[in-house]
Amino acid sequence: MTHLQFLAAIVVSASEDAIVGKTVDGVITSWNPAAERIFGYTEQEVIGRPQSFMCPPELAGEFAEIVGRISRGESVPQGDTVRRRKDGTTFPASVSVSLIRSEDGTLMGVSSITRDITEQRKRADRLLEANKSLLEANKNLEAFTYSVSHDLRAPLRALSGFSEALLEDYGDVLDEQGQEYAKRIRAASEQMATLIDDLLHLSRVARAELHPQWVDLGTEAARIAEELQNHEPDRNVHFAIERPVRVRADRTLIRTVLENLLGNAWKFTSGRDEASIEFGTRPTGDGTICCYVRDNGAGFDPQYVGKLFTPFQRLHTTREFPGTGVGLASVQAIVARHGGRAWAEGAVGEGATFFFTLDTKEPK
Amino acid sequence: MTTRPILLVEDNPDDVSLTLRALKKNHILNDVTVAYDGAEALECLFKEDSGGRTSYGLVLLDLKLPKVDGLEVLRRMRADEHTQTTPVVILTSSGLEEDIAAGYHDGANAFVRKPVNFGEFAVAINTLGMFWLLLNETVPE
Repeated sequence: MTHLQFLAAIVVSASEDAIVGKTVDGVITSWNPAAERIFGYTEQEVIGRPQSFMCPPELAGEFAEIVGRISRGESVPQGDTVRRRKDGTTFPASVSVSLIRSEDGTLMGVSSITRDITEQRKRADRLLEANKSLLEANKNLEAFTYSVSHDLRAPLRALSGFSEALLEDYGDVLDEQGQEYAKRIRAASEQMATLIDDLLHLSRVARAELHPQWVDLGTEAARIAEELQNHEPDRNVHFAIERPVRVRADRTLIRTVLENLLGNAWKFTSGRDEASIEFGTRPTGDGTICCYVRDNGAGFDPQYVGKLFTPFQRLHTTREFPGTGVGLASVQAIVARHGGRAWAEGAVGEGATFFFTLDTKEPK
Repeated sequence: MTTRPILLVEDNPDDVSLTLRALKKNHILNDVTVAYDGAEALECLFKEDSGGRTSYGLVLLDLKLPKVDGLEVLRRMRADEHTQTTPVVILTSSGLEEDIAAGYHDGANAFVRKPVNFGEFAVAINTLGMFWLLLNETVPE
Protein backbone atom coordinates (compact mmCIF):
# COMPACT_ATOMS: atom_id res chain seq x y z
CA MET A 1 0.00 0.00 0.00
CA THR A 2 1.42 3.33 -0.99
CA HIS A 3 1.37 6.26 1.40
CA LEU A 4 -1.45 7.83 -0.64
CA GLN A 5 -3.54 4.68 -0.56
CA PHE A 6 -2.94 4.48 3.17
CA LEU A 7 -4.23 8.04 3.64
CA ALA A 8 -7.22 7.34 1.42
CA ALA A 9 -8.06 4.27 3.48
CA ILE A 10 -7.98 6.32 6.68
CA VAL A 11 -10.26 8.94 5.16
CA VAL A 12 -12.70 6.28 3.99
CA SER A 13 -12.82 4.50 7.33
CA ALA A 14 -13.15 7.74 9.29
CA SER A 15 -15.83 9.17 7.04
CA GLU A 16 -19.24 10.03 8.48
CA ASP A 17 -20.78 9.06 5.14
CA ALA A 18 -21.26 5.54 3.89
CA ILE A 19 -18.62 4.93 1.21
CA VAL A 20 -19.31 1.80 -0.76
CA GLY A 21 -17.21 0.31 -3.55
CA LYS A 22 -18.92 -1.74 -6.25
CA THR A 23 -18.16 -3.46 -9.47
CA VAL A 24 -19.51 -1.95 -12.64
CA ASP A 25 -22.46 -4.37 -12.31
CA GLY A 26 -23.24 -3.23 -8.78
CA VAL A 27 -21.71 -6.01 -6.66
CA ILE A 28 -20.37 -4.68 -3.34
CA THR A 29 -16.58 -4.74 -3.03
CA SER A 30 -15.95 -2.46 -0.05
CA TRP A 31 -18.02 -1.25 2.90
CA ASN A 32 -16.71 1.37 5.34
CA PRO A 33 -17.59 1.64 9.07
CA ALA A 34 -20.04 4.48 8.38
CA ALA A 35 -21.88 2.22 5.90
CA GLU A 36 -22.09 -0.37 8.63
CA ARG A 37 -23.53 2.18 11.04
CA ILE A 38 -25.93 3.76 8.56
CA PHE A 39 -27.27 0.60 6.88
CA GLY A 40 -26.85 -1.82 9.82
CA TYR A 41 -25.07 -4.55 7.83
CA THR A 42 -21.56 -5.70 8.68
CA GLU A 43 -18.90 -5.78 6.00
CA GLN A 44 -19.01 -9.61 5.96
CA GLU A 45 -22.75 -9.59 5.31
CA VAL A 46 -22.56 -7.50 2.17
CA ILE A 47 -19.29 -8.03 0.35
CA GLY A 48 -19.99 -9.90 -2.86
CA ARG A 49 -23.74 -9.18 -2.77
CA PRO A 50 -25.56 -7.13 -5.40
CA GLN A 51 -26.31 -3.64 -4.15
CA SER A 52 -30.10 -3.85 -4.53
CA PHE A 53 -30.67 -4.59 -0.81
CA MET A 54 -29.64 -0.99 -0.04
CA CYS A 55 -32.72 0.46 -1.56
CA PRO A 56 -36.46 -0.06 -0.98
CA PRO A 57 -38.01 -2.52 -3.48
CA GLU A 58 -40.13 0.16 -5.14
CA LEU A 59 -36.95 2.04 -6.07
CA ALA A 60 -35.11 -0.99 -7.42
CA GLY A 61 -35.25 0.53 -10.88
CA GLU A 62 -32.94 3.28 -9.69
CA PHE A 63 -29.97 0.97 -9.41
CA ALA A 64 -30.71 -0.59 -12.77
CA GLU A 65 -30.68 2.89 -14.25
CA ILE A 66 -27.40 3.78 -12.54
CA VAL A 67 -25.80 0.57 -13.77
CA GLY A 68 -27.12 1.34 -17.24
CA ARG A 69 -25.68 4.83 -17.22
CA ILE A 70 -22.33 3.60 -16.02
CA SER A 71 -22.09 0.91 -18.63
CA ARG A 72 -22.83 3.51 -21.30
CA GLY A 73 -20.02 5.60 -19.83
CA GLU A 74 -22.34 8.40 -18.67
CA SER A 75 -21.91 10.26 -15.42
CA VAL A 76 -24.41 9.79 -12.62
CA PRO A 77 -25.75 13.00 -11.12
CA GLN A 78 -25.83 13.44 -7.38
CA GLY A 79 -29.31 13.28 -5.98
CA ASP A 80 -31.57 12.84 -3.01
CA THR A 81 -33.36 9.54 -2.76
CA VAL A 82 -34.41 6.90 -0.21
CA ARG A 83 -32.30 4.04 1.14
CA ARG A 84 -33.16 1.00 3.24
CA ARG A 85 -31.56 -0.22 6.46
CA LYS A 86 -31.12 -3.84 7.48
CA ASP A 87 -34.18 -3.64 9.76
CA GLY A 88 -36.34 -2.69 6.79
CA THR A 89 -36.74 0.96 7.79
CA THR A 90 -35.92 3.61 5.24
CA PHE A 91 -34.23 7.01 5.43
CA PRO A 92 -33.78 9.99 3.13
CA ALA A 93 -30.33 9.95 1.60
CA SER A 94 -28.12 12.09 -0.53
CA VAL A 95 -26.14 9.88 -2.90
CA SER A 96 -23.26 10.69 -5.19
CA VAL A 97 -21.70 8.13 -7.45
CA SER A 98 -18.27 8.31 -9.03
CA LEU A 99 -16.53 6.03 -11.47
CA ILE A 100 -13.24 4.39 -10.59
CA ARG A 101 -10.84 4.07 -13.50
CA SER A 102 -7.41 2.56 -13.74
CA GLU A 103 -4.46 4.63 -14.89
CA ASP A 104 -5.07 3.67 -18.52
CA GLY A 105 -8.73 4.74 -18.21
CA THR A 106 -10.35 1.33 -17.96
CA LEU A 107 -13.51 1.40 -15.85
CA MET A 108 -12.72 -0.58 -12.70
CA GLY A 109 -15.76 -0.01 -10.61
CA VAL A 110 -18.00 2.45 -8.92
CA SER A 111 -17.86 4.25 -5.60
CA SER A 112 -20.91 5.70 -3.98
CA ILE A 113 -21.10 8.10 -1.06
CA THR A 114 -24.36 7.97 0.84
CA ARG A 115 -25.27 10.49 3.48
CA ASP A 116 -28.18 10.01 5.84
CA ILE A 117 -30.00 13.34 5.59
CA THR A 118 -32.78 12.57 8.09
CA GLU A 119 -31.64 15.35 10.44
CA GLN A 120 -31.14 17.79 7.58
CA ARG A 121 -34.62 17.01 6.35
CA LYS A 122 -36.07 17.50 9.81
CA ARG A 123 -34.34 20.87 10.10
CA ALA A 124 -35.57 21.89 6.66
CA ASP A 125 -39.09 20.74 7.56
CA ARG A 126 -38.96 22.68 10.81
CA LEU A 127 -37.82 25.77 8.90
CA LEU A 128 -40.61 25.32 6.39
CA GLU A 129 -43.07 24.86 9.21
CA ALA A 130 -41.78 27.97 10.99
CA ASN A 131 -41.96 29.90 7.74
CA LYS A 132 -45.51 28.74 7.20
CA SER A 133 -46.62 29.83 10.64
CA LEU A 134 -44.83 33.14 10.11
CA LEU A 135 -46.74 33.69 6.90
CA GLU A 136 -49.90 32.73 8.72
CA ALA A 137 -49.09 35.19 11.51
CA ASN A 138 -48.45 37.88 8.94
CA LYS A 139 -51.78 37.17 7.30
CA ASN A 140 -53.47 37.42 10.69
CA LEU A 141 -51.69 40.71 11.22
CA GLU A 142 -53.02 42.00 7.91
CA ALA A 143 -56.51 40.99 8.93
CA PHE A 144 -56.02 42.55 12.33
CA THR A 145 -54.72 45.76 10.79
CA TYR A 146 -57.68 45.94 8.46
CA SER A 147 -60.06 45.22 11.27
CA VAL A 148 -58.47 47.90 13.47
CA SER A 149 -58.65 50.42 10.70
CA HIS A 150 -62.24 49.62 9.95
CA ASP A 151 -63.96 48.53 13.13
CA LEU A 152 -62.25 50.79 15.65
CA ARG A 153 -62.88 53.79 13.49
CA ALA A 154 -66.62 53.25 13.21
CA PRO A 155 -67.50 54.33 16.77
CA LEU A 156 -65.06 57.22 16.45
CA ARG A 157 -66.83 58.43 13.35
CA ALA A 158 -70.07 58.43 15.28
CA LEU A 159 -68.49 60.37 18.16
CA SER A 160 -66.93 62.92 15.90
CA GLY A 161 -69.80 63.10 13.42
CA PHE A 162 -72.58 63.48 15.95
CA SER A 163 -70.70 65.96 18.12
CA GLU A 164 -70.20 68.01 14.98
CA ALA A 165 -73.90 67.62 14.12
CA LEU A 166 -74.73 68.70 17.65
CA LEU A 167 -72.61 71.83 17.28
CA GLU A 168 -73.95 72.68 13.85
CA ASP A 169 -77.61 71.81 14.25
CA TYR A 170 -78.13 72.60 17.94
CA GLY A 171 -75.35 75.07 18.59
CA ASP A 172 -77.91 77.76 19.31
CA VAL A 173 -79.56 75.83 22.13
CA LEU A 174 -76.25 74.90 23.78
CA ASP A 175 -74.64 77.44 26.03
CA GLU A 176 -70.92 78.15 25.81
CA GLN A 177 -70.01 75.36 28.20
CA GLY A 178 -72.21 72.86 26.34
CA GLN A 179 -70.55 73.80 23.07
CA GLU A 180 -67.13 73.46 24.70
CA TYR A 181 -67.98 69.92 25.83
CA ALA A 182 -69.13 68.92 22.36
CA LYS A 183 -65.93 70.38 20.93
CA ARG A 184 -63.89 68.34 23.38
CA ILE A 185 -65.67 65.14 22.38
CA ARG A 186 -64.94 65.91 18.75
CA ALA A 187 -61.29 66.79 19.42
CA ALA A 188 -60.75 63.65 21.49
CA SER A 189 -62.24 61.37 18.90
CA GLU A 190 -60.18 63.00 16.19
CA GLN A 191 -57.07 62.56 18.34
CA MET A 192 -57.87 58.87 18.67
CA ALA A 193 -58.41 58.57 14.94
CA THR A 194 -54.94 60.05 14.45
CA LEU A 195 -53.50 57.55 16.93
CA ILE A 196 -55.06 54.66 15.06
CA ASP A 197 -53.78 56.01 11.74
CA ASP A 198 -50.28 56.38 13.14
CA LEU A 199 -50.35 52.91 14.59
CA LEU A 200 -51.47 51.50 11.27
CA HIS A 201 -48.76 53.47 9.55
CA LEU A 202 -46.18 52.03 11.91
CA SER A 203 -47.32 48.48 11.26
CA ARG A 204 -47.21 49.07 7.51
CA VAL A 205 -43.71 50.52 7.73
CA ALA A 206 -42.58 47.41 9.55
CA ARG A 207 -43.99 45.13 6.86
CA ALA A 208 -43.59 47.14 3.66
CA GLU A 209 -41.47 45.64 0.92
CA LEU A 210 -38.18 47.51 0.47
CA HIS A 211 -37.22 48.86 -2.94
CA PRO A 212 -33.67 50.11 -2.42
CA GLN A 213 -32.28 52.69 -4.81
CA TRP A 214 -29.75 55.50 -4.68
CA VAL A 215 -31.25 58.48 -2.91
CA ASP A 216 -29.70 61.85 -2.14
CA LEU A 217 -30.83 62.52 1.40
CA GLY A 218 -29.62 66.13 1.12
CA THR A 219 -32.04 66.86 -1.71
CA GLU A 220 -34.87 65.13 0.13
CA ALA A 221 -34.08 67.04 3.33
CA ALA A 222 -34.05 70.34 1.44
CA ARG A 223 -37.45 69.56 -0.05
CA ILE A 224 -38.92 68.70 3.33
CA ALA A 225 -37.43 71.88 4.82
CA GLU A 226 -39.12 73.88 2.08
CA GLU A 227 -42.46 72.20 2.75
CA LEU A 228 -42.17 72.94 6.46
CA GLN A 229 -41.29 76.56 5.75
CA ASN A 230 -44.18 76.93 3.29
CA HIS A 231 -46.55 75.49 5.82
CA GLU A 232 -45.55 78.01 8.48
CA PRO A 233 -44.06 80.96 6.57
CA ASP A 234 -43.97 83.18 9.67
CA ARG A 235 -41.38 81.11 11.44
CA ASN A 236 -37.74 82.07 11.21
CA VAL A 237 -35.71 78.87 11.00
CA HIS A 238 -32.21 78.55 9.62
CA PHE A 239 -31.59 75.28 7.81
CA ALA A 240 -28.09 73.95 7.12
CA ILE A 241 -28.30 70.95 4.83
CA GLU A 242 -25.38 68.89 3.61
CA ARG A 243 -25.66 67.63 0.06
CA PRO A 244 -25.29 65.37 -1.64
CA VAL A 245 -25.65 62.55 0.85
CA ARG A 246 -26.00 59.49 -1.33
CA VAL A 247 -27.34 56.34 0.31
CA ARG A 248 -28.99 53.16 -0.83
CA ALA A 249 -32.46 53.07 0.61
CA ASP A 250 -36.14 52.76 -0.09
CA ARG A 251 -37.04 56.29 -1.17
CA THR A 252 -40.54 56.43 0.35
CA LEU A 253 -39.47 54.96 3.66
CA ILE A 254 -36.28 56.94 4.06
CA ARG A 255 -38.23 60.08 3.26
CA THR A 256 -40.53 59.18 6.15
CA VAL A 257 -37.45 59.06 8.38
CA LEU A 258 -36.38 62.55 7.30
CA GLU A 259 -39.92 63.90 7.51
CA ASN A 260 -40.20 62.68 11.07
CA LEU A 261 -36.80 63.92 12.20
CA LEU A 262 -36.99 67.29 10.45
CA GLY A 263 -40.64 67.66 11.42
CA ASN A 264 -39.70 67.01 15.05
CA ALA A 265 -36.83 69.49 14.87
CA TRP A 266 -39.23 72.03 13.40
CA LYS A 267 -41.79 71.36 16.10
CA PHE A 268 -39.40 71.40 19.05
CA THR A 269 -37.71 74.63 17.97
CA SER A 270 -41.04 76.47 17.86
CA GLY A 271 -40.14 78.36 21.03
CA ARG A 272 -36.80 79.64 19.64
CA ASP A 273 -36.48 83.08 18.14
CA GLU A 274 -33.47 81.95 16.17
CA ALA A 275 -34.13 78.34 15.45
CA SER A 276 -31.57 76.35 13.55
CA ILE A 277 -31.85 72.88 12.12
CA GLU A 278 -28.97 70.99 10.61
CA PHE A 279 -28.85 67.88 8.47
CA GLY A 280 -25.41 66.38 7.99
CA THR A 281 -23.21 63.34 8.16
CA ARG A 282 -20.18 62.31 10.09
CA PRO A 283 -17.56 59.77 9.13
CA THR A 284 -17.72 56.24 10.46
CA GLY A 285 -14.90 54.46 8.64
CA ASP A 286 -16.79 51.17 8.43
CA GLY A 287 -18.62 51.45 5.11
CA THR A 288 -21.75 52.85 6.70
CA ILE A 289 -22.81 56.46 6.73
CA CYS A 290 -23.95 58.21 9.87
CA CYS A 291 -26.52 60.94 9.29
CA TYR A 292 -27.83 63.32 11.88
CA VAL A 293 -30.53 65.92 12.35
CA ARG A 294 -29.60 68.50 14.95
CA ASP A 295 -31.70 71.31 16.34
CA ASN A 296 -31.39 73.97 19.04
CA GLY A 297 -34.89 73.34 20.34
CA ALA A 298 -36.42 72.14 23.57
CA GLY A 299 -34.21 69.07 23.81
CA PHE A 300 -34.99 66.25 26.23
CA ASP A 301 -33.85 64.79 29.51
CA PRO A 302 -31.19 62.20 28.60
CA GLN A 303 -32.43 60.08 31.48
CA TYR A 304 -35.45 59.19 29.32
CA VAL A 305 -33.59 58.67 26.07
CA GLY A 306 -34.60 54.99 26.08
CA LYS A 307 -38.26 55.92 25.85
CA LEU A 308 -37.85 58.12 22.80
CA PHE A 309 -38.13 55.37 20.22
CA THR A 310 -40.92 53.44 21.93
CA PRO A 311 -44.34 53.77 20.25
CA PHE A 312 -46.74 56.14 22.02
CA GLN A 313 -44.09 57.24 24.51
CA ARG A 314 -43.77 60.98 24.70
CA LEU A 315 -41.41 63.14 26.72
CA HIS A 316 -43.55 66.23 26.35
CA THR A 317 -47.22 66.84 27.04
CA THR A 318 -49.42 67.43 24.03
CA ARG A 319 -50.07 70.87 25.49
CA GLU A 320 -46.37 71.72 25.08
CA PHE A 321 -45.89 69.98 21.76
CA PRO A 322 -48.55 68.05 19.82
CA GLY A 323 -47.92 64.54 18.60
CA THR A 324 -48.82 60.90 19.04
CA GLY A 325 -45.42 59.44 19.83
CA VAL A 326 -45.22 57.23 16.79
CA GLY A 327 -42.81 59.21 14.60
CA LEU A 328 -39.57 58.10 16.21
CA ALA A 329 -40.81 54.52 16.50
CA SER A 330 -41.33 54.60 12.73
CA VAL A 331 -37.83 56.07 12.28
CA GLN A 332 -36.39 53.27 14.35
CA ALA A 333 -38.33 50.59 12.46
CA ILE A 334 -37.37 51.96 9.03
CA VAL A 335 -33.70 52.39 9.87
CA ALA A 336 -33.59 48.88 11.36
CA ARG A 337 -35.14 47.49 8.20
CA HIS A 338 -32.30 49.09 6.27
CA GLY A 339 -29.79 47.36 8.54
CA GLY A 340 -28.94 50.56 10.39
CA ARG A 341 -29.34 51.93 13.87
CA ALA A 342 -30.94 55.07 15.30
CA TRP A 343 -30.18 56.90 18.52
CA ALA A 344 -30.40 60.33 20.07
CA GLU A 345 -28.41 62.78 22.16
CA GLY A 346 -29.70 65.86 23.88
CA ALA A 347 -30.28 67.84 27.03
CA VAL A 348 -33.20 69.87 28.32
CA GLY A 349 -33.18 73.31 26.72
CA GLU A 350 -30.07 72.55 24.68
CA GLY A 351 -31.53 70.95 21.59
CA ALA A 352 -31.39 67.41 20.36
CA THR A 353 -29.45 65.43 17.78
CA PHE A 354 -30.87 62.35 16.16
CA PHE A 355 -28.47 59.97 14.46
CA PHE A 356 -29.06 57.11 12.09
CA THR A 357 -26.71 54.89 10.16
CA LEU A 358 -27.21 53.44 6.70
CA ASP A 359 -25.15 51.21 4.54
CA THR A 360 -23.48 53.08 1.71
CA LYS A 361 -20.80 52.45 -0.79
CA GLU A 362 -20.45 55.27 -3.26
CA PRO A 363 -22.49 54.60 -6.39
CA LYS A 364 -20.45 53.69 -9.42
CA MET B 1 -85.78 66.65 -15.32
CA THR B 2 -86.55 63.56 -13.29
CA THR B 3 -84.10 62.95 -10.55
CA ARG B 4 -82.98 59.44 -9.98
CA PRO B 5 -82.67 58.06 -6.47
CA ILE B 6 -79.43 57.45 -4.62
CA LEU B 7 -78.57 54.02 -3.28
CA LEU B 8 -76.68 54.14 -0.01
CA VAL B 9 -75.07 50.81 0.85
CA GLU B 10 -73.94 50.97 4.45
CA ASP B 11 -74.32 48.57 7.38
CA ASN B 12 -73.55 50.97 10.19
CA PRO B 13 -76.68 52.92 11.28
CA ASP B 14 -74.55 55.78 12.63
CA ASP B 15 -72.82 56.14 9.29
CA VAL B 16 -76.19 55.95 7.52
CA SER B 17 -77.49 58.76 9.67
CA LEU B 18 -74.35 60.89 9.19
CA THR B 19 -74.35 60.31 5.44
CA LEU B 20 -78.02 61.25 5.10
CA ARG B 21 -77.25 64.39 7.05
CA ALA B 22 -74.30 65.17 4.78
CA LEU B 23 -76.48 64.75 1.68
CA LYS B 24 -79.01 67.14 3.13
CA LYS B 25 -76.29 69.62 4.06
CA ASN B 26 -75.02 69.43 0.50
CA HIS B 27 -78.54 70.23 -0.72
CA ILE B 28 -78.88 66.90 -2.43
CA LEU B 29 -82.54 66.10 -2.13
CA ASN B 30 -82.87 62.96 -4.19
CA ASP B 31 -84.66 60.00 -2.68
CA VAL B 32 -82.24 57.75 -0.85
CA THR B 33 -82.68 54.01 -0.61
CA VAL B 34 -80.59 52.41 2.13
CA ALA B 35 -79.26 48.87 1.75
CA TYR B 36 -77.77 47.50 4.96
CA ASP B 37 -75.72 44.72 3.40
CA GLY B 38 -74.30 43.68 0.04
CA ALA B 39 -77.06 41.20 -0.73
CA GLU B 40 -79.70 43.86 -0.12
CA ALA B 41 -77.77 46.21 -2.39
CA LEU B 42 -77.74 43.65 -5.20
CA GLU B 43 -81.47 43.15 -4.77
CA CYS B 44 -82.09 46.90 -5.01
CA LEU B 45 -79.90 47.13 -8.10
CA PHE B 46 -81.10 44.09 -10.02
CA LYS B 47 -84.66 43.50 -8.84
CA GLU B 48 -87.24 43.65 -11.65
CA ASP B 49 -90.71 44.84 -10.71
CA SER B 50 -93.69 46.10 -12.73
CA GLY B 51 -91.93 49.37 -13.50
CA GLY B 52 -88.75 47.57 -14.55
CA ARG B 53 -85.53 48.07 -12.67
CA THR B 54 -84.83 51.04 -10.49
CA SER B 55 -82.16 53.14 -12.12
CA TYR B 56 -79.99 54.88 -9.54
CA GLY B 57 -78.28 58.20 -10.17
CA LEU B 58 -75.53 57.44 -7.69
CA VAL B 59 -74.42 54.56 -5.50
CA LEU B 60 -72.62 55.30 -2.25
CA LEU B 61 -70.87 52.08 -1.38
CA ASP B 62 -69.22 50.96 1.83
CA LEU B 63 -66.57 48.27 1.35
CA LYS B 64 -66.87 46.02 4.37
CA LEU B 65 -70.40 44.75 4.33
CA PRO B 66 -72.23 41.72 5.68
CA LYS B 67 -73.00 38.88 3.22
CA VAL B 68 -71.61 40.34 -0.01
CA ASP B 69 -68.74 42.83 0.29
CA GLY B 70 -68.60 46.20 -1.43
CA LEU B 71 -66.05 45.28 -4.08
CA GLU B 72 -68.17 42.31 -5.10
CA VAL B 73 -71.22 44.57 -5.42
CA LEU B 74 -69.11 46.88 -7.58
CA ARG B 75 -67.90 43.99 -9.73
CA ARG B 76 -71.44 42.77 -10.28
CA MET B 77 -72.57 46.28 -11.17
CA ARG B 78 -69.77 46.69 -13.69
CA ALA B 79 -70.55 43.33 -15.26
CA ASP B 80 -74.15 44.31 -15.92
CA GLU B 81 -75.03 46.62 -18.79
CA HIS B 82 -77.71 48.48 -16.85
CA THR B 83 -75.41 49.45 -14.01
CA GLN B 84 -72.13 49.53 -15.91
CA THR B 85 -71.97 53.30 -16.02
CA THR B 86 -73.79 54.15 -12.79
CA PRO B 87 -71.50 56.44 -10.79
CA VAL B 88 -70.17 54.72 -7.67
CA VAL B 89 -68.56 56.57 -4.80
CA ILE B 90 -66.73 54.31 -2.38
CA LEU B 91 -67.05 55.27 1.25
CA THR B 92 -63.76 54.40 2.90
CA SER B 93 -63.07 54.29 6.59
CA SER B 94 -59.27 54.45 6.35
CA GLY B 95 -56.39 55.24 4.05
CA LEU B 96 -55.63 51.54 4.10
CA GLU B 97 -59.03 50.77 2.67
CA GLU B 98 -58.52 53.36 0.02
CA ASP B 99 -55.32 51.58 -0.98
CA ILE B 100 -57.10 48.27 -1.17
CA ALA B 101 -59.91 49.70 -3.24
CA ALA B 102 -57.60 51.72 -5.48
CA GLY B 103 -55.92 48.51 -6.49
CA TYR B 104 -59.19 47.43 -7.90
CA HIS B 105 -59.21 48.21 -11.59
CA ASP B 106 -62.83 48.11 -12.69
CA GLY B 107 -62.89 50.95 -10.35
CA ALA B 108 -65.13 53.22 -8.55
CA ASN B 109 -65.61 56.76 -9.73
CA ALA B 110 -64.48 58.39 -6.51
CA PHE B 111 -63.57 57.84 -2.90
CA VAL B 112 -64.94 59.70 0.06
CA ARG B 113 -63.54 59.13 3.47
CA LYS B 114 -66.05 58.64 6.26
CA PRO B 115 -67.51 60.43 8.09
CA VAL B 116 -68.79 61.97 4.95
CA ASN B 117 -67.05 65.27 4.94
CA PHE B 118 -69.07 67.99 3.21
CA GLY B 119 -66.15 69.44 1.34
CA GLU B 120 -64.89 66.08 0.15
CA PHE B 121 -68.38 65.08 -0.75
CA ALA B 122 -68.93 68.17 -2.85
CA VAL B 123 -65.58 67.59 -4.59
CA ALA B 124 -66.50 64.00 -5.36
CA ILE B 125 -69.88 64.97 -6.77
CA ASN B 126 -68.24 67.74 -8.78
CA THR B 127 -65.58 65.44 -10.11
CA LEU B 128 -68.28 63.14 -11.31
CA GLY B 129 -69.97 66.06 -13.02
CA MET B 130 -73.09 64.98 -11.27
CA PHE B 131 -74.76 68.12 -10.09
CA TRP B 132 -77.15 67.95 -13.01
CA LEU B 133 -78.13 64.44 -11.97
CA LEU B 134 -78.89 65.43 -8.45
CA LEU B 135 -81.48 67.89 -7.33
CA ASN B 136 -79.82 70.94 -5.92
CA GLU B 137 -81.57 73.56 -3.97
CA THR B 138 -80.83 76.74 -5.83
CA VAL B 139 -80.86 78.79 -2.67
CA PRO B 140 -79.00 77.35 0.30
CA GLU B 141 -80.94 77.41 3.53
